[in-house]
Amino acid sequence: MSLWVDQFRPRALDDLHYHQGLSARLKSLAASGDFPHMLFYGPSGAGKKTRITCTLRQLFGPGVEKLKIDQRVFLSPSKRKIEVNIVQSNFHLEITPSEAGNYDRVVIQELLKEIAQTQQVDLNAKQRFKVVIINEADSLSRDAQAALRRTMEKYMSNMRIILCANSTSRLIAPIKSRCLLMRVAAPSDTEMQTVLTHVAKRAYFDLPPEAAQEIIKDSGGNLRKAILVLEALKMQSPDLSGPLTIAKPDWETYCQKVAVLIVTEQTPARVMEIRTKFYELLSHCIPPTVILKTVAEAVVGQVDETLKPEIMHWAAFYEVRMRIGSKKIYHLEAWVVKVMSLYKQSFYQFDISEFS
Amino acid sequence: MPPKSSQAPSSNAKSATKKLKISSSKATTVKLSDTAPSNSPRINPLTAFANTQVLSSTTMKASQPSQTSKSKGKGKEKEKEKGIYASALFDAQDDRLWVDIYEPTTEAELAVHVKKVQDVRRWLDEAFVGGPSGKLRKYRRILALTGPAGTAKTATMRVLARELDCEILEWRNAMEEGSSRFGDDGQNDAYTSDHESLFFKFEAFLTRASTCQTIFADASDRDAKLSSSSPSSSSSNISATRPHKRKRQLILLEDLPNVLHAATQQRFHAALQSLIGAPQVEPVPVVVIVSDAGTRGEARDERLASGVWGGGREGDGVLDVRVVLGRDLLGGPYVTQIGFNPIAPTLMKKALQTLVSTHFASAPKASGSAPTKEMLDIVVETSNGDIRSAIMALQFSCLPTLGGSTGKPARRKGGGAGGGGAKLVLEAVTRREQSLALFHFMGRVMYNKRKGDPPNPSATAKDIQRDQALDATLKDPPKLPKFLAVEERRTSRVNVDALYADSPIDSSLFSLYVHQNYTQFCNETEECEGVTEWLSWVDSSGGEAWYQANPHRFHLLTLGTLHSLPSPVPRRSQKMFKPEFFEYLNKEKDAWEAVRDVRGWIMGNGAVVGESDSLLGTWSRAEVVTGLGAILKARDLKNSSPRAPASHRLFSSLPFANGENRSGMRPLVEGDVASDGVDIPGEDDGVPAGGWSGVGEGGDREGGGWLEGDEIEEF
Repeated sequence: MSLWVDQFRPRALDDLHYHQGLSARLKSLAASGDFPHMLFYGPSGAGKKTRITCTLRQLFGPGVEKLKIDQRVFLSPSKRKIEVNIVQSNFHLEITPSEAGNYDRVVIQELLKEIAQTQQVDLNAKQRFKVVIINEADSLSRDAQAALRRTMEKYMSNMRIILCANSTSRLIAPIKSRCLLMRVAAPSDTEMQTVLTHVAKRAYFDLPPEAAQEIIKDSGGNLRKAILVLEALKMQSPDLSGPLTIAKPDWETYCQKVAVLIVTEQTPARVMEIRTKFYELLSHCIPPTVILKTVAEAVVGQVDETLKPEIMHWAAFYEVRMRIGSKKIYHLEAWVVKVMSLYKQSFYQFDISEFS
Repeated sequence: MPPKSSQAPSSNAKSATKKLKISSSKATTVKLSDTAPSNSPRINPLTAFANTQVLSSTTMKASQPSQTSKSKGKGKEKEKEKGIYASALFDAQDDRLWVDIYEPTTEAELAVHVKKVQDVRRWLDEAFVGGPSGKLRKYRRILALTGPAGTAKTATMRVLARELDCEILEWRNAMEEGSSRFGDDGQNDAYTSDHESLFFKFEAFLTRASTCQTIFADASDRDAKLSSSSPSSSSSNISATRPHKRKRQLILLEDLPNVLHAATQQRFHAALQSLIGAPQVEPVPVVVIVSDAGTRGEARDERLASGVWGGGREGDGVLDVRVVLGRDLLGGPYVTQIGFNPIAPTLMKKALQTLVSTHFASAPKASGSAPTKEMLDIVVETSNGDIRSAIMALQFSCLPTLGGSTGKPARRKGGGAGGGGAKLVLEAVTRREQSLALFHFMGRVMYNKRKGDPPNPSATAKDIQRDQALDATLKDPPKLPKFLAVEERRTSRVNVDALYADSPIDSSLFSLYVHQNYTQFCNETEECEGVTEWLSWVDSSGGEAWYQANPHRFHLLTLGTLHSLPSPVPRRSQKMFKPEFFEYLNKEKDAWEAVRDVRGWIMGNGAVVGESDSLLGTWSRAEVVTGLGAILKARDLKNSSPRAPASHRLFSSLPFANGENRSGMRPLVEGDVASDGVDIPGEDDGVPAGGWSGVGEGGDREGGGWLEGDEIEEF
């Protein structure tokens, strides 16, 4: 099973449709023989991982596409078993340490040490080093990041690390300074249009420009989302003509409705109601930061101009709390209650500045 | 089973030495049933099988050997004997505890709520007869009695067994089994380690206890059994007992093997399972009594518990019914659970009064003086529903020395100071580690009582008086400057330090309870804001690791909550609920499984993908969750193949329902234990609609009605 996103994903740096400058830079890096540790960052759906895999191919040749999945078991200090899936080829290895939860440090350390201590035995390999890709690097715990920092220096001779993150703000400075930072910005509308047309061409149909515009507007710079929406739309109405209704995922509609709940009534009972909704969202695995962001954006759309900065300020405030704390629901709810009382105060013409 | 039968005589001999050893310090004659069977009118089939652990129901604990000979196997005679005891008691300077002397013998004497006793009785009836339809018998195999210590679980069982004329076969762990002095046990390797041999015996006990009945029931059956397994020495005993009528029996497991040890736990579950699985015409019901351990309930870290890596419950060292019976058994149709609540103050007071009056009536020249009414009240109050500790305290308070020093001033001054003195002493005596029920604990925080609160309409004069006395001891806080006037509160009646000492739950679980319930106690969102802000702050203070956690979380949270809640808290018959947090956490866990399935499906589940269209690992889990909703839905509508795993709806389908969904909320009632917070998922779901649901969770909860009526502020 493969979706269009995967099916038509560019394989080589030359096939990429946008950020040509970046592609050229990656290409020359791969050719230089002095490949550094790298940190790819940018919004989701911008093409970070596509660029990483393209770079790998440039480095090692098509051999990197021969993949196998391993399930490895690690032991935590308290003798707990941690199972982590590892995708690897002969030349690289890819892990998502956040799957190991609190014990990501153990996983990172064990795995990197193991890779670093084995030399590349394939004499035909283009490079003497192996590459370790760490996904979702911004969700690494401090401990794990600290562990990474030393390893990166020590095993430079036969290992390179490529980190992939949405934002660099959650990475500690020593890591950032050891990596070459590669920003992969979201594609512009015209760039997205090109890609969508390209996808449509490869799927043997014509994409009306209006439909493309509609999809691009909805996707907000997330190319993966755009292509997924395109595929879903194509499935619903094969000719793609007439007014298009872009089906949002359930959770997005859900968040919108939660926002309405917040604005329409501000009572303790309503807090309770919203809590149930949040629990529902959380139990559907929607990341709490995504929930907070989506709901906050929806609320901002419905309130007075003066309140908007306040609401976003508190959303940011509680997002930080959420990261440090362990029970996400508290912080989501604290934000909701905060917004509620702000809204109520502005509604009753109170002076807000006194309270903030 | 050759090892068992060959081992039997040696353990028998050991039991003889054990008993003799204990009794040697006393001038009492201890007759052992196996050496002198004529002592007992009816032979205990299990002692006939010569198993040490099997003591008949009325056998007193080893600490009271003087009674052993008298009461062995004579359950019915005990009531009659009681009179004799009473008169002989003080001549012989009986040093037994009141708890044992005045053990209840009839249902009327039990201080347990009538409905609970009825529940147990009904279960036993159904287990022996099979209920009205006669079919229930199959399902009444294991009864689990749970509840805090000292709530008369065992006493109820014994009384009912006596009334139903059935014999209790009880398992007791023998301590000296490991160091055998006989050296003749080389024949089985079960002796290589302590718990092995002990458990070996336990299994033997279970099989024998559950099967021996058929030996007496049917001659041919018995012969078959005899030829296969019975030791030759016991055959004579059996023939001797043949004329006796078969008696009802039940197996009582209170002194359990060490089920906290994982291997032992597995074997224990397996033993019970096989007991249930064995087809029997007349099954012997098993009663398991589990006292709720006095550990604090703890909410585990969310990051550990959530997601695909959270590998189920850890062995967290809490001995509760779930650990003892295991999830499979508890969810199955063969196990019924009846939870006992702490003894109600009224019932306990009545029982203690009866006890005191019988004690001093039967022994007018008894040393010590009768406790005053105040002292009785204090005893009842400090016991927190633990009748054993109450009787102990009562006996202690009636000691001559103590009675002299505290009883007299109490009488002279009448109340006040004397009561205080006695209270002081009693508090020192009866202070328990965990003394506040969760229900009352939450009530104390959430009702946010402050100095000078108007009394509750339903409060009695005594309550009001007590509140006033408390208020008199509270100092007013200094007046706050004008700009802080918003923060002005009256002094709280809640002593946070004492609360913390008495808390049945840890701060993390406490915060979940506060979080679940605070909205009902607030009038305005501003008050909610205070509470949530504190919850949020406390949760995020400290670092990622446990050792970085803020040590003051409990105090901060309690004080913050009290400060934020309105005062006085409006009364609108609020109901406390258990945190929903864990249910949703489990749901999330299932959903993560689904995410993993879908992720595997998208990326082509092959292990080695040569000419792959997709590069494995390009989908992170968060991307699957947030991005795939629409397309999965579209595919479902179109029925396009290949089909996605159906489980994807666990995360992709999220219909919005207006209004609150209260169905999933479980109220917190009196008698709930802290560890209930960390429920095993589906604990309540596993209840099939079959006819065995007589004493299920629901009916059981209603049974606590008399306490729910109690106002929280009485405490």
